Amino acid sequence: MQAIVITDLCRNYGSRRGISNVNLKIEEGEIFGFLGPNGSGKSTTIRVLMGLLRASSGAAAIFGKDCWNDGPTIRRDVGYVAGDVRLYPWLTIRLGLLMLSRIRGLKEMHARGLDLVERFQLEPDLPIRKMSRGNRQKVALVLALAHSPKLIVLDEPTSGLDPLMQDTLMACLRELATNGHTVMISSHTLSEVETLCDHIAIVRDGRIVEDSTVKKLRASAPRQIVITLRPDQEFESVRWPNEIKICQLPRKRGGQDSALAETSSTPTPMERTCQLELIGSSSRFITWAAAQDFADISIGAPSLEILFRRYYQSNQGDL
Amino acid sequence: MIGLLQKIWVEVRWPVLFFSLGLFSVMSVLTALLPKILANMNQFFDKMPMIRPLLTALLGVDPGNQASAQISQAFLWVHPTVLSLIWAHEVMYCSRVPAGEVDRGTADFLLCLPLSRWEIFWAETVGWLVSGTCIILSGYAGHLLISLTIQPDMRLSVLKSMTVIVNLSAVYLAIGSFSFFVSTMSNRRGRAIGIVFTVLLASFLLNFLAQFQDWAKFISPWLSVMAYYRPAIIIQSGEFPWFDIAVLVFISGLMWLASGFVFHYRSICTV
Repeated sequence: MQAIVITDLCRNYGSRRGISNVNLKIEEGEIFGFLGPNGSGKSTTIRVLMGLLRASSGAAAIFGKDCWNDGPTIRRDVGYVAGDVRLYPWLTIRLGLLMLSRIRGLKEMHARGLDLVERFQLEPDLPIRKMSRGNRQKVALVLALAHSPKLIVLDEPTSGLDPLMQDTLMACLRELATNGHTVMISSHTLSEVETLCDHIAIVRDGRIVEDSTVKKLRASAPRQIVITLRPDQEFESVRWPNEIKICQLPRKRGGQDSALAETSSTPTPMERTCQLELIGSSSRFITWAAAQDFADISIGAPSLEILFRRYYQSNQGDL
Repeated sequence: MIGLLQKIWVEVRWPVLFFSLGLFSVMSVLTALLPKILANMNQFFDKMPMIRPLLTALLGVDPGNQASAQISQAFLWVHPTVLSLIWAHEVMYCSRVPAGEVDRGTADFLLCLPLSRWEIFWAETVGWLVSGTCIILSGYAGHLLISLTIQPDMRLSVLKSMTVIVNLSAVYLAIGSFSFFVSTMSNRRGRAIGIVFTVLLASFLLNFLAQFQDWAKFISPWLSVMAYYRPAIIIQSGEFPWFDIAVLVFISGLMWLASGFVFHYRSICTV
């Protein structure tokens, strides 16, 4: 069954664009990463899903129910953390858990919440106004996860968290997904999504520009190659094969290192290093490289970073 | 709903306590000072003639011609400090949701709870009614306590006092529901409070101008809430102001329903 189905969803803010024709399907038990640069429409999509905003057109459904009309029923099974977390200054976690367990009608929520408090190293009786930004973020996460929701929607949840707490959160989300819970995580940071998610969609200028599994994306991502030429070797003298795309040429002499260049007749390593992308057959490239006499050559793992950077750069026509 | 009421309790208990104590004190002081004020009322009018139309506007009758020990008790219930305290509380309270929540960024948290917006609105309404009752009754308690020490002929009967309180409560309902309405249309609490206070001030001034200007007298029943709150007439005639209360409750109900529908159907943009 699908946890989230979004069909031709549009939402505008007056004359300002929000999102247009967004289509998404997220399966139950999946960890879904929603990526995009700032202002691309991630939060707008999430706000429509949470019933805060009404769609201008199209439909958004969670567990088969309409997000606007069946909002209260849907939200029983959803845990949500907003992008810019703001909580009541007087709220303590203990009080928050008590209130939410009454609102949700779940007595066991309190005990589970206190387990999470321990895991996230929080003080249950400290009011929000005395907490740091990171701790406030953790409180919001605890309150969103304490009722063990079937769907967890997190809008940039790691902002403000230290790396250890980011790991704790990731571990927590993986556990939930293992137990069949669905996770939707929005972010503009690739690394956290890359390591966590099974399924990724990239939104740019309010439109979905990529919707695929991490495995498929990784397979389509190019490998990065760094070649260092010998001091006596000229970049132009090498006959480069068709399997590669040149991304960065060696630095020219007389540039930033000109002072160093004047004192030495041999080019510096920076002046001999070029970056390439493998776009063709790797075996043919390796055969070609083996016949060359370079000072050094390194081939990196397939990098989604390059792929994402291209998607993010909205004005480039090379998609 | 219990969880929401608990949230409201935590947020408003101190302001409600302060407003209740404030009104209790003001009503006590005014009740204690009333005999002295009455003794010198005509001197006041001779020295400051502008006071007379102001009091006429507030009371609905000319205090110089009709002053009696009991009618003058109506001063208490129309005193600007008393009205300001009650209205300040409700304008602040009724602008909390959604304008206040959006303004401080907590709307995401509140509106993503598994509750419908109507449930949230109901809980807010319960808090508004309960807190208003506490504050108005505190004021009455202050008056009652001190009135035991004043001359018996100056004391109002419980029935007349209760009639005035019911009329004041109807005014409370009308202004509160208007505040709710403005709040549901706004994303800024300060703006919502500003609009309500401006309208209240205009309504108050219109009631005052109606003493001098015919055009103001003509439109006052349509636009001034004070035209439906006349404690002096209630005390003088002893009649229950059915019409005034019905108008205020009708307006209040209409505004409350409109607020609920706007809140229910509105997209709330928190960014």
